[in-house]
Order: sequence, then C-alpha cells, then structure tokens
Amino acid sequence: MAYLTQPDYVKYICSCGQLKPITSLYFCRHCLKIRCGFCICHEVDSHYCANCLENMPSSEARLKKNRCSSCFDCPSCFHTLSTRATTQQRQVLQDPAAGGDTKVESKQPKKMYYLSCFNCRWTSRDVGIPDQPVASGGWPERTNPHAARVNQLIDYYKAIAQQEKQEKIERERKKFNIRGKYITLTDKTGLTGAMARNIAGLPSSESSSSAIANFVPSVATAEVDELPEDIFTKEVNLNQITSMPQRLASPDWQPVSVSRLHPLAKLLSVKRSQRCRACDHNLTKPEYNPGSIKFKIELLAYYHVPEVKIISHEPVKPGEKTALFLKLTNPTGHEMQLRLLQPEDIPPPEEKEEPKSIDKSLERSLVLEKDTTAFKAIERQPNISATSRVTSPGVTLTLAQRDDAAEYDDDAQHDTNDIILWRKSNKLGVRLELDTSAEAVGGSPARALVALQYSYRNTVPPAPSAAACRDHTLYTTLLLDLGTVSSN
Amino acid sequence: MELPDTYYNKSEYVETASGNKVSRQTVLCGSQNIVLHGKVIVQSDAIIRGDLANVKTGRFCIISKGSVIRPPFKKFSKGVAFFPLQMGDHVFVGEHTVVNAAVVGSYVYIGKNVVIGRRCVLKDCCMIEDNSVLPAETVVPSFARYSGSPAKLISTLPEAMPDLMTEFTKSYYQHFLPTTVQ
Repeated sequence: MAYLTQPDYVKYICSCGQLKPITSLYFCRHCLKIRCGFCICHEVDSHYCANCLENMPSSEARLKKNRCSSCFDCPSCFHTLSTRATTQQRQVLQDPAAGGDTKVESKQPKKMYYLSCFNCRWTSRDVGIPDQPVASGGWPERTNPHAARVNQLIDYYKAIAQQEKQEKIERERKKFNIRGKYITLTDKTGLTGAMARNIAGLPSSESSSSAIANFVPSVATAEVDELPEDIFTKEVNLNQITSMPQRLASPDWQPVSVSRLHPLAKLLSVKRSQRCRACDHNLTKPEYNPGSIKFKIELLAYYHVPEVKIISHEPVKPGEKTALFLKLTNPTGHEMQLRLLQPEDIPPPEEKEEPKSIDKSLERSLVLEKDTTAFKAIERQPNISATSRVTSPGVTLTLAQRDDAAEYDDDAQHDTNDIILWRKSNKLGVRLELDTSAEAVGGSPARALVALQYSYRNTVPPAPSAAACRDHTLYTTLLLDLGTVSSN
Repeated sequence: MELPDTYYNKSEYVETASGNKVSRQTVLCGSQNIVLHGKVIVQSDAIIRGDLANVKTGRFCIISKGSVIRPPFKKFSKGVAFFPLQMGDHVFVGEHTVVNAAVVGSYVYIGKNVVIGRRCVLKDCCMIEDNSVLPAETVVPSFARYSGSPAKLISTLPEAMPDLMTEFTKSYYQHFLPTTVQ
C-alpha cells in the first residue's frame, strides 16, 4: 500500500525493458518471465455499470453504445445523477355513477421522480424534462437528428463490403474452378444461390444491390445560413452558454445553451483479463460478478518474485562507501535461495532448442492460423546509468516460505552477522554496502542497479511429454532510487 | 520504503482485549453503538458519532487524527432518519477526513483532508486521494482511484490491492508503538 502513496523507490526491469514497481508487474508461470501492462494482451471479459453494478452482455452493450440504460451522468459537471422523489397531489374525481354514493374528491398523493445532481444541483426539471412516475428508466430517449442519414450510410457501406467480398470469392472460384463432368451438389439438390445465401445467413443479393442503387451521395452546398443580425451587438451571458467539455460529452447534439443539456447515459466499465503474448496463457482473470474483487487467475509478480524494499540508507556521497538496509520478502510457498549479483553477472538467456516432437509440430500447425509475427515478444534491456553499485555479499541467502500463521509468533530471530540484520518468517533484513563512483555530481539523482538470482519452484503441473523440471534459477534486475547524491 | 515507527504516549491510549488502541483524546458519542472489531487504531481528536446510528468497523482499521466518522442521514417527507455506517477490514482513514458514507468496503484507502458525502458507497479495494471531495450518493467501484473536487476516476489500482492494503494496515499496527519510559 505504501506503494500507492509513496513514489516508487524500487523498480523492476520487465522483460520488455520497462521499469515498473512490483505492483504493476505480472509473472508468467509458463514462460517464467516478468511481464508488464505494455507487453501483454488485454481482453474485455464483461461490461458492467460502475454505478448500479449491473452486468450487460457484450452484444447488448454494443447495441446500447456501451452505456447503461438506467444510470445517468450530469451533463453539467459529469457527476452521477441521483433520482429524487416528490409527492404530487393528484386530484381524482371519482365518478358518482360508478359506485360512490357521494361525490368524493379524493386527494391521492402520487410519487413522481426527477433526476438531480448532488454536486452542482442541476436537475432534470431545469431543462423541462417531465417528471417520471417510475423510479428508474422511462426517461425520454432522444434520437440523433441525423439518425436516418447515418443508418443509410452504414447500410451503404455494409452493402459495398458485402459486394466486394462476393466479387473476391467469385474471382477465387473462377481461378480454381475446373468443371468436372460430375454434377455439383447444388445442381442435384436444386439448391439455388439465393437459398445457399439464406442458409449461410448472408443478406440476399437484391437488398444489398438496392441499398447501393438507392444511395444518394451527399452534395456540398455553397449556401450557408446568414449570421443573425445581433450577433455582434447582443450581450453574451456566459452562464447560458455551455463549455467545450459539456458540448463534447454529447457529440450527437453539441448543445450551445445550457437549457438544452440533457442527462448523459452512464458509460459502462469493463472487467478485463490479461494474457501473456508469448504463450497465450491467462495472467489475470477476474470473477464474473461485478462486485467481486476476487480473481480466478492472478499471476502477479507480487506473488512470485522476491520483493525488495528499502528500509533506510545513509546519504549517498560521491567516492564513498555507505550502508544500505534492504528488506527481502519471499512471497511464494516454497523456500527460496537468493543471491545478490551485479547486473552484468546475469548470464544471457540461453536459446532453447526446439524439441522436435509430434506434439510440438501439431501445436505449430494449430498456431499457423494466426499471424504470430505481431505477437513476437521483443526482449531488450534498458540503458540506465547508475551512480552507485551495491557490493555483492557473495553469500546465498535462504528465505523461508510464506506462512500466514507465522505472524502470531512474532519473535524476530537475531542470528545477526555482517549481512543479516534480522530474520522473521519469510522476511529478511540485510545490510549492504553501497559504492558510489567518484564522478557522481552532488544533487544528481542517486540510483543503484542490483541483480537478483533466485530459485523458483514452478507449481504448474508439467505437460505429460515435457520433462518435469520444477526448480528454476531465475534472474531479475532492479533499480533502487536513493534520493540525491549529497555534495560534500 | 518500509513504514517508519510511530510512537504514542502509553498513558494516552487505551488498549482493549481485542487489540483496539483508542486514544483518550477522542469524542466517541454513543459508545454503546460503536463496534470496533479488533486491532483498530483510533487516534487523538477523532470523532465517531455513534449517537446518530450504529458504527461498525472491521479488523485492522486506522482512523487518523482529527477525522470524523458520522453516519449519514436521509431526508424523508416526515423529517430525517440516520442510517448505520459500516466499514470493512483493513480501511485507512487519513487525517482531518470526514466520512459520511453508508458503506465503506474492505481494503479501502481514504487520504487526508477528504470529505466523503452523505450515503456514498465505497466498494472493496478503492482509493480516495488526499484533498478530494466526494459528492453525496456517489458509488465508487472496486479498483478505482478517485481524486479531485468533485472526485473523479483518475486511474485504476493494481490487482494485488487486497494484499497491499492488508500489509499496510498490519505493518502500521505493528509500527504503532508505545514510547518506552526511561
């Protein structure tokens, strides 16, 4: 949490070269690589309204232009509108002949609803929208003044696309068509082209051609309405004129005066799942329920990669050795061996030889359908100049597995030596030495690059063909932000 | 960065059997209507208005200095009625913040100098930044980060938010120590 309220002091280097805090990184268990939001695929899982938390199927969301049908935003300040109820005295004259023996003029109170903004006090009454007898829904929907023309254009372009597709198929067929002496299936069964089209769910050729034939192209006109006489003399009341964001919020109408502002249907939010581009496995998958905060799949770096936090450090001085205190945490359920290295000590990733098994080639043939070139992951290292080096202690640190029950027996072990300050279940406080180069200028940002080598046990059930290699040695590089270099 | 230790005067705070640490310099109105579910810190000059309606908090909540927790009211044709205020687990309320919400979910971070309007609903895992004003009856969805006046959605929160908040409130509690008397 401190991650969200403080600047990011410790940044990890993603496999794509981005520098990110551990909270916004993912870890693919199948590629065993760190991924970030820029090098994964984002997919829309479901649409929901953030106000009423109602799910909407994606087909319906498309039909409703990704807007909720019952919630509205204020057209003036864009805050969510609330429904207010008022009682209206409705006078009902009972018919004396119907059953009443006396003339009764009953005053039956009736609830009427209107929309009101609690932020700017705009109400739907301001613009003359009549109150509604039902609490939600039933608000008048405005149609775009150009709706007919827009639909005509859409139909026209659909028809053109359809026609071009048809022509392409026709060309392909002509190219390969070798008339055999056998009668084709369509001839035999009397299946005509129109019927085939009908079965395939394509629009009949007549309608598409009629859409093209009846289309009237737009004609530009040189005649423009004259400006009103008083345009330069009339005093402008800015309170009556809408602001630019207010106009752009309803692009269909773009109201000029505030009296024409209408409630805006609330935009839907999405739940998204994320996928590794290299192996197509899901990295995160949320639960379907919009109110739920749980995930079905949640492969975050925060749960798989050792976490490094700066406890404190001495002021960084050029050409001097200063102390640095770090806290290392093992978030996994297995014991972890950890070594601190220099970034240049990381061995280059070894090129794996493709196993030439039938499984693989089968998989390859399935993948062929898709254009894989677009998904090729580019791995690169960022070019970062660090002012300081962290002296590698040259020992392997062992971190115990994460144990939620361990917090109750909270006596920190003090098997202190030169490096280890304290040890507490899966956490470790270490004392390191920071070697700052003499060229560092006072006042410039002090940064240190450090590499981590850690053992990782893969808990993915191995594929039956693959050799079960569960323990891996992985590397990651991180950048520590140590404030500024102090000048002496 | 690791959280630094915060020290308090041992005579100022009352610690209950369930681990709640409540300052003596607070105004707890209608204390029979206030339920703190354990390991909750209520710091000095905080006001909890239990006399208006029930106030319930979950575990590991932090109510900072000078903040006001006040159940919301709703106007009816015949006067007003107060509604209970519920707070989930691992909620942080910053300094000098006024909370008038109906429901505050779990793993919620509310910054300092924030005003949460009447009958707002803060879902689980959301964050209101410092110096924001949330107008009345706003619904803040999960994993949303709100800021400004009126507060608007500015970004989303990481998926690990429940764990981040749990770690934050737990370590805050662990680093909230009595000054040792020399």
